Order: sequence, then structure tokens, then C-alpha cells
Amino acid sequence: MIQLFQFLARQRVILLLLLLELVNVWAVFKYNAYQHTLYFNTTNQWAASILSTTQEVKTYHQLRIVNGTLARENAQLRTELLRLKSQQQPLTKLPYYVSEAMLNRYQAVASKVIDQSTSMSQNYLTLDKGRKDGIQPGMAVISSTGVVGKVMSCTDNLSLVVSVLHTSNSVSAKLKRSGELGYIKWPGYQSEVADMMDVSKYKKVVKGDTVVTSDYNAVFPPNIPIGIVAKVGLEKDDTFHDIKVMLFTQFATLQYVYVIKNRLAGQQAQLETTKPKAE
Amino acid sequence: MNFTFNFKWFFSVVFAIAIQVLFLRDIAIANVAFCFIYTWFLVKAPMQVNPLLLLLGAMAVGWVIDVFYNTHGMHAFACVLVAWLRPVYFRILTPANGYDERSSISLAEMKWLWFFSYLFLMLMSHHLLLFILEAGDWSLLGFSVLKALSSTLLGMAVFGILEFFNRSE
Repeated sequence: MIQLFQFLARQRVILLLLLLELVNVWAVFKYNAYQHTLYFNTTNQWAASILSTTQEVKTYHQLRIVNGTLARENAQLRTELLRLKSQQQPLTKLPYYVSEAMLNRYQAVASKVIDQSTSMSQNYLTLDKGRKDGIQPGMAVISSTGVVGKVMSCTDNLSLVVSVLHTSNSVSAKLKRSGELGYIKWPGYQSEVADMMDVSKYKKVVKGDTVVTSDYNAVFPPNIPIGIVAKVGLEKDDTFHDIKVMLFTQFATLQYVYVIKNRLAGQQAQLETTKPKAE
Repeated sequence: MNFTFNFKWFFSVVFAIAIQVLFLRDIAIANVAFCFIYTWFLVKAPMQVNPLLLLLGAMAVGWVIDVFYNTHGMHAFACVLVAWLRPVYFRILTPANGYDERSSISLAEMKWLWFFSYLFLMLMSHHLLLFILEAGDWSLLGFSVLKALSSTLLGMAVFGILEFFNRSE
């Protein structure tokens, strides 16, 4: 204690200096309008920049949740979009109308890809939604850019999807411009490119045309984009075009997909079983 | 240090402050040179004065000037810091044969060179602090330095004249 007082006594000049200058600085910033605002502006600026940095960090950590919410919202919008699309009247004079059941045929469920492969010759995806979320085998899976695949099997909470990148998974497709029908089949290599088969060589195919799912598709809703015609070949001994399609879906970076429930799929399947079998 | 000396000194200080706040307050030569004659008390304070007393005195005078200049704390800040720096300047400027025990700070007793370098250091540090604090903006630093320099030169001239008359008396 005595040493403390001795120290204070020894340093009395500098201590007094600091005390007086502190008072002065306080007075400068307290009573001078300009310096006062200056102080507030700078402190506010610092405070604001610190707060905004914190906010940025927080935002970053919330990205996962935000992505999930956005995907859910997208699923709703997609449901709405499919409804509106089927509402569109075809350009005919026939007294055609779309039934309510047809209108509300499709419903989208957002789902996260938790595992997938793109480099095998048979590729599958695993999704984090299953039977509990109303997913059934046979449902279509699309991404925000294009088709992804078809649900193959489900557990209560997960489902397995056969990717379009699967040599035995074909998707009924049409060329948007000409309306030519065919189907998309993956040759087993190159995850960006698939073949379009069954397009007669007597039909005109233009490079750059968009390929979409056809109206006769049992799985996918019509007019879901698949890819773009990248190369048109014609083999002399073949009756079909050899069309290479650049797929829209970036399988390598796929994160969120939408499983499309088709409410009338059961009815359609049931109907089709009544077809007489060709013996 | 007798009573009469302190008495005279006290009135000199009050007189200097009065001149400062009554006449020199609004005078600026070419908008850059200001005359802060009240710093006289800091410059002329006896060499052996108690540093604590000088600090408190500088605070008080600076505060009074601030009240009249409407620059609360700025003059006081500069004065207190310069009052603390004064012994440092004495040490820097120590003549070859040291200080005389009874020497007071005047042109009569000190050499020209010593007196004016001392004056320059005192005024320059005071004015520089004051103007930078007043501007409160580093982008005005150049202008603040210019103002401080010109005010210092003016101050040296004024103090030189005062000392000249003092000596001739």
C-alpha cells in the first residue's frame, strides 16, 4: 500500500497530466458540436461495421436453413406452375376443358440429395424424404433446371432414385420446336450428355433445339426441360437420327430436387392394366 | 519568489487573457495566422516552478480561454500538454554551461538563439495540437499545419517585440 502511494507520489506530474487531458478530451467531444457529431459518427461507423460483420457471419451459418426454406417455397411454386401449365387451353376449337383432377394432378415435394454418384454407368441418388412425406416408388424427380430421375424404392424416411444417368432408365421426350417424339437414353459415360433415340431421319432436327419431356410420359409431367440438342448425326445405314443432348441438370452439384407426386398415376396404371394383352 | 512577484504575475496573466478574449479573439491575418498571446504565461513562467502547479494553471487558463472561444477543452488540452512538455524543451535546449539557478526566461537573460528556439517549440506544439484538435479531420492536416506554422511565426514576432520593450525598460 505504501509502495502504491510512493508510486503515485513519484508519478504525480504525469498522472495529473493524464487526468487533466482526459477531462479536456471529454470536454472537446462533449461540448463541441462538430467533434460531438464526429465522435458519434465514428463510433456508429465502427459499431455498424462490427454489427454488419456479425450479421454476415450469422447469415453464412443460416445459409443451410435458408436453402431449405427456399427449396420448400420453390416446391410450392412448382406445384402452382404445373397446375397453371395444364390449365393452358390447347389451340383448338374443340369444347375442351381441363378437369379439376387433372389440374391438381401434380404436387412437388422439396428434398435434399444426401448421396449420389455420377461416374458409374448406373447412377443413383439418395434423398432425405421417404414414405412419411408421401413419396412412392415410380414418382418423377426433377431439379430446378431439368429432369433428374425416377424414384425406385422408399423407406420411411429416405428414397432411392434412379438417375437419368442410368443405361436402363429412359425418359419419353420431345423436341420443343417440331414436337417430334423420342426418348432419352444415357449411353453410360459422360454425365453431361445423353442420346435421343427414335427420331426418324426424315424429320428435321435443328441443333440448339430444346428437348423436353413429352405429353405421353407416365412418370414426368409434360414440358419439363431435359437438355439441348448439341449434335445431330445421321448414320447412313440407320433409320434414325443420332442426336446428342446436352443435359440441363448439373448432376455433379445437385443439392435440392423436387419429387413430383402424380395423384392420377394410380388410376392411369389401373386403366392400363385393363388393356387386352397381345398374345 | 516573493508575494509581490506572484501578485504581479497573476495580474499579468489576467491581463493577457483579457487582451486575448477582448481584442485578439476575432483577429486572423490572412485567415491563417492567429495570435495567441495568452500563451505568454506558459512561456514566461519561472523555470523552477512546481510542475503540478503549472499543469493546474495551464488547465485553468486554457479552460477560461475555451469558455470565451467556445471551443471547450481544446485550448486546455493544448496548454496542459505544452506545460508538461516545457521541462523536456528545457532539457533539449540546455546551453553548454547549463542553466543559471536564478535565470528567468527573457531575451535579456538568454541568448537570442535559445530564446527563439524555445519560443518556436512552445508555440508550435501548442498551435499544432490546437489546430489539429479543432479541425478534427485528418484530411485538413495540411491546412492545420500551415495555420500552426504561420501563427507560430506571428507569435514569435509578437513575443520578440514584447521582450524588446521589456528589456529597454
